[in-house]
Amino acid sequence: MSDARHEVDERWILRTELLWAFGVGVFIAAALGMILFTALTISVNPPSNVERIDPKALHLSGEFAEHNLGTTVSGDGTVIVRAIATQFMFVPQCIAVPANRRVTLRFASPDVIHGLLITGTNVNTMVIPGFVAQVHTEFTRTGDLLMPCHEYCGQGHSEMWATVQVLPENRFKPGSDGRVSCAQR
Amino acid sequence: MRNVDRLCLAHFWVAFGAFLFACLIGTWQMWVRSPLGANIGTPGQYFMSVTAHGVSMAYVLTTFFIMGFGYFVAVTALNRPLPGRLWAWAAFWIALLGVVVTIIPIGLGKASVLFTFYPPLTASAWFYIGLVLVVAGSWIWCVLMLVAMSAWKREHPGQPVPLAMFATVANAVMWLWTTIGVAVQLVFQVIPAALGLVQTIDVGLARTLFSWTLHAIVYFWLIPAYIAFYTMVPRAAGGRLYSDTMGRLTFILFLIYSLPVGMHHLLMDPQHGNAMKFVQVLLTAFVAVPTLLTIFTITASLEIAGRLRGGRGLFGWIAALPWERPMVLATGLGFVMLGFGGFGGIINMGYGMNAMVHNTSWVTAHFHLIFGGSVVIMYFAIAYEIWPRLTGRDHMSLAPLRMQLWLWFVGMMVMTLPWHWLGLQGQWRRVANFNYADPIIAGWGPWVVVSLVGGFVLLISALLFVRNLAVLHRGTVVAVPRALYAVAVHPPKRVPAALNGFGLWNVLVLVLMVLAYGFPIAQFLIEPSPSAIVHRVR
Amino acid sequence: MISADQSSAIDSDPEAADDVDEAALASVLRTVPLGAAVLAGSTVALLVIGYLIVYLLVFIPRGIVG
Repeated sequence: MSDARHEVDERWILRTELLWAFGVGVFIAAALGMILFTALTISVNPPSNVERIDPKALHLSGEFAEHNLGTTVSGDGTVIVRAIATQFMFVPQCIAVPANRRVTLRFASPDVIHGLLITGTNVNTMVIPGFVAQVHTEFTRTGDLLMPCHEYCGQGHSEMWATVQVLPENRFKPGSDGRVSCAQR
Repeated sequence: MRNVDRLCLAHFWVAFGAFLFACLIGTWQMWVRSPLGANIGTPGQYFMSVTAHGVSMAYVLTTFFIMGFGYFVAVTALNRPLPGRLWAWAAFWIALLGVVVTIIPIGLGKASVLFTFYPPLTASAWFYIGLVLVVAGSWIWCVLMLVAMSAWKREHPGQPVPLAMFATVANAVMWLWTTIGVAVQLVFQVIPAALGLVQTIDVGLARTLFSWTLHAIVYFWLIPAYIAFYTMVPRAAGGRLYSDTMGRLTFILFLIYSLPVGMHHLLMDPQHGNAMKFVQVLLTAFVAVPTLLTIFTITASLEIAGRLRGGRGLFGWIAALPWERPMVLATGLGFVMLGFGGFGGIINMGYGMNAMVHNTSWVTAHFHLIFGGSVVIMYFAIAYEIWPRLTGRDHMSLAPLRMQLWLWFVGMMVMTLPWHWLGLQGQWRRVANFNYADPIIAGWGPWVVVSLVGGFVLLISALLFVRNLAVLHRGTVVAVPRALYAVAVHPPKRVPAALNGFGLWNVLVLVLMVLAYGFPIAQFLIEPSPSAIVHRVR
Repeated sequence: MISADQSSAIDSDPEAADDVDEAALASVLRTVPLGAAVLAGSTVALLVIGYLIVYLLVFIPRGIVG
């Protein structure tokens, strides 16, 4: 084969590769674009709040002291859930939340790494000792959901989970102190 | 000149021995956590097993296989003896010592922290020291790969480094960069904690350092499979490599983009904010590119082979390929698994969608399929291809080899596809036993059993694999010398320096790492996280 | 063991023992990579569609998160 024809063929091969790369690049750009678009417009983000907290003093800190855990509705209607993830339970073990309203969930760990998800939702976060984990969401369906610890935290990890009761508006009634507990069944 | 036969075989037998052991205990794990094994095994045993399984598959099988394969390539692709063979043996013994030192505390129950170690959970110091020894051995390998390539370049000035070696050295360079994260984490944080020199640990920093290693390491594992795709499969199929240049480019892209993306494993972590998470997701999209380029180039190479064999029409070349050859069959099956595994991967990398799957069985499904499936099936094919060259004995029949590959494919698909589904349902990871009485969990039971069946098929395949290699050591059929490496459609006569070495690319890696990891790590040095108390696992 | 010199030479010499006929190769290269482009392209297209399906039908209905 002459060198000239060799060169032409080589360039042609590379041109097909470039064409393929271009097509693939379009696909990637489209996927990224969609991600960026949703992040900006309908607020779909991974947890993004970086907030430090001393794990060794959680029980002392106002926010995560035991009497302050659970669901609280403040005066202006904001719903905040606070819970602790520890070896090997969540405190509280049952959390009540309203459907179709913005809920902020805040978690902290006094000991090791935990993580959690809520089945059927996009709530998913690691709980790292040293940091508050915060997730905002809206629960779209009522019912009882599982909130397991999903990161290995020691021998008791398999038994570590909580329940999330998603209550319809008419059953989500805060007490005079702004707290909502799980419905007794 | 083949002064490395015993060296390679030693590495491979350690690798495959660990592999078989891991398959056995992996199957046990699956049984114990299924409805069928509800009262069997304690959490202590389960997590010990998970630790051993992860360490064996992720650190021993891989590192030893890659080292052995690297020595083989250095000798056969460069057509010269391995420089520093005594150093290679030293590296082997150091790494093997490391394996022993690590496995003992695991077996004693003093190291159930899984292969991803979760500080502040802290194991016996020996567990970590053993792994550091394995890494140290691999660093010696990296240096030897670089030395071998440099020596060849001095003897062949201006000539392109054979692609198989170029890729192997790219992998070695990448591994040196990759291990920095975990080495710093172990040496400066975890081992001091394990030794009792410190009582607290900065978890945010530890996790960030580990993530540096955690993604790039999977490309360390993957590159040998891609070396087979580019440099062995076209020959095995009877064709030519579509483009040698694209091969070089692919391995360079892996070198650059495998490293600055580790934080996509931390997308759900609270110690990093949006901005850096998005940057690393962007870079993760780029690391998909070399794989997408590869599937085109290798498919085109196979198309050449198929059409040369008489295949006609748009797809006729597929049936015309020599599927009876293990290397070709493994590639076809591997590509199918790569498709499914890659699909899971692009969902994982999704900035928002990661929340849907993080720490669920979807993740377990993904890496078993993509690594255990598409990569390891190529490890099998490589072993089948080079074992006759190392032992001087040929396979009596290729049928058991094909059977083993098919069993691996079927087992992997049956095991992992239900896991994807279960992950979407919210089934979470690292569970010794599920409460199948719970209404949500009860529905998962049947799928867990299906997965378990897949696991058993994989175990059979693993046993058959070891058998297929072991019989060659006492085989009677003398191996006929056969060419190994593929020829490109246009074998390069000269390539630009950028495609023949790594000086420029190392600079780029440094720039990208500063961009991607500079602030995430520096933030902890400027202001350490509130420290957590070390929890020693009994 | 295989005679080391002989087999190494065959293993590494890039021009050695390649059975491909150059004329046949040139003829085949008139069609390649059409088949590959269609096969790989359809696969990637399926991946994109699958991705969008999961995104729109599974992820978004589970609620906004941030």
